Amino acid sequence: MSLIELDGVGRTVFLPDGDRLEILRGVTLTIEAGEHVSIVGRSGSGKSTLLNLMGLLDTPSDGEYVLEGRPTRGLSQRQRARLRGAGFGFVFQQFNLLPGRTALQNVAAPLLYSGGRDFWRRNRLAADMLERVGLGDRADTMPEKLSGGEQQRVAIARSLIRSPRVILCDEPTGALDVQTGTEIMDLLDAIAGESGATLVTITHDTMVAARAHRHYRLDAGLLGPLDPATLAPARQVVAS
Amino acid sequence: MTGLVAAFVEAWDEVRIHKVRVIVSLIGVLIAVAAMTVITALGDMARQANAEHSERTSGRAATLQVNAWSMDGTQPAADTLTSAYAEVVERHAVEYSSLLSTTELRVQFTEGAEPVWASYVDRPYGEMHRIEPAHGRWFSAADERRFAPAIVVNEAFHQRLGEPDLRTNPTVVLAGERPVRATVIGVTPNAYSDEMPSVYLLQAHQQQWGIQGMYDSAPLLELWVPPENAEEFTEVVRADLAGLLGQDLQIEVYRLDPTDFDVIDGQLQWVVRGVSVIALGMGALGLLNIALVTVRYRVREIGVRRSFGATSGRVFFSVMMESVFATAVAGLAGVVLAVAIVKNVPIDELIGGSVTDVPEFPVRAAVEGLVAATVVGALAGIVPATVAVRVKVIDAIRF
Repeated sequence: MSLIELDGVGRTVFLPDGDRLEILRGVTLTIEAGEHVSIVGRSGSGKSTLLNLMGLLDTPSDGEYVLEGRPTRGLSQRQRARLRGAGFGFVFQQFNLLPGRTALQNVAAPLLYSGGRDFWRRNRLAADMLERVGLGDRADTMPEKLSGGEQQRVAIARSLIRSPRVILCDEPTGALDVQTGTEIMDLLDAIAGESGATLVTITHDTMVAARAHRHYRLDAGLLGPLDPATLAPARQVVAS
Repeated sequence: MTGLVAAFVEAWDEVRIHKVRVIVSLIGVLIAVAAMTVITALGDMARQANAEHSERTSGRAATLQVNAWSMDGTQPAADTLTSAYAEVVERHAVEYSSLLSTTELRVQFTEGAEPVWASYVDRPYGEMHRIEPAHGRWFSAADERRFAPAIVVNEAFHQRLGEPDLRTNPTVVLAGERPVRATVIGVTPNAYSDEMPSVYLLQAHQQQWGIQGMYDSAPLLELWVPPENAEEFTEVVRADLAGLLGQDLQIEVYRLDPTDFDVIDGQLQWVVRGVSVIALGMGALGLLNIALVTVRYRVREIGVRRSFGATSGRVFFSVMMESVFATAVAGLAGVVLAVAIVKNVPIDELIGGSVTDVPEFPVRAAVEGLVAATVVGALAGIVPATVAVRVKVIDAIRF
């Protein structure tokens, strides 16, 4: 049983003028647990839509999405929210940290929806997670006082706080300089590797994509394999 | 359970983090609740002042006044009347009753003798008419056995005497055929400015010392009876007195205290509530306005929370609870402000009357204010909460 199975998935939206826009067409993709998969494509190619579908933020118009052997088509909004919260961690290009909250509070925020013991010990878990991403000393800092790289580290810590099986990264280095972006990808690879989480990265940066085990290209809503030879070699940064 | 606590924590965090916005949006609610509570307190105070004023002049509910006179216009003998009245009081075991007759006495002040309005009463009259001396005291049982008459005077009288300290047992000569020196034991506040001097004497003292004034009125009887039995008493007392005094006398028994007080009180309460509701409504509109604007600025944050697994119900509840928490806090602050105002501003003076039994701070109003603020918070929270739920997650994250 695969972790994620997309079979002929399509996503169509209707524009205000009544026209039909096919964002994704017949996407078929299987991702196993612990894999690192990258999807590259130009802006508007449907990358984010595909990520949203995988993360249960959106529903396919056609085809079937099976998550851990369970078809997602008949799931209620509530079930989708619960599965999303428990199984997926999101890392966004613009970090999307919650304003007015410290790094610690941001990392702990997903645990407000987890229930049980994790809710009650959310601050301790968040502090541990910040330590893991190297920001233990910035726990009480507000997002606006953090650098871009630090903000993305906080976002990564937040995405991992509920030990998701899948980490979905939408242009995780898009707002960072090359050096910082490489550090962030090193961190994501390391943490995903440690926890055994599946990492799905959508990017238009071929160097970021090159770090994955498998590579795909999304072009005008059609998903196809990408020849690794066309990708730039991944940069490696020696951890200081 | 954890989910509920988490929703509360989330809502409270939101209020705490956006405290400036919250404070600004809640000033209206705070002022409304404070106004509502103060208005209710003012209403209570006005009602109390009104009730006390009414009780001083007309007696407490229900005070019956009994009067008898001859059909030919002459006054029946005072002894006949008083013994018949005493018989009625005893027959019906009326605990509080008083004879009342009035006259004009000449009193020797330092600047000369002048006529003073005097009332001969029995001891219970003070209780029946809520007479609370500003200085000294009302008549006690021991006063009836004094060797000199005791008098309770008003402030105007006291001032004519040069405002002597009552601890020095000041005396005054009640002039007449048989002048008698009386001791001032109490001073009642003037009911209105420029009030003329007046004095209360005990019926017993009048008879004991034969105090005679000008234009003595025939004694009346006042009875303080349970309001629910007032009508029945009226008929029974009239019948009893007719039996005791004979059919030649006209017997009049009527209720002295205003019977429409409850109606006026009820109307006053409705006015107070109406003003309060309008004030709170205005506060709620301000809150709703700011909450709606704010929720549009929080679209991305709401989307991010949905990515954490927040359900629509949870987002709705959290946004609504923010409003509820905020208004509850504002309501509490409003009540505190109202308490400060009511406790520190001499409201009874502002409403133009002295209040003997200052009403307690209206806890009912405080509770009503808090509950109303919370309900308003919930209602004002529904609209932004609905907007928050309608936020499309994908659009929100890209926002």
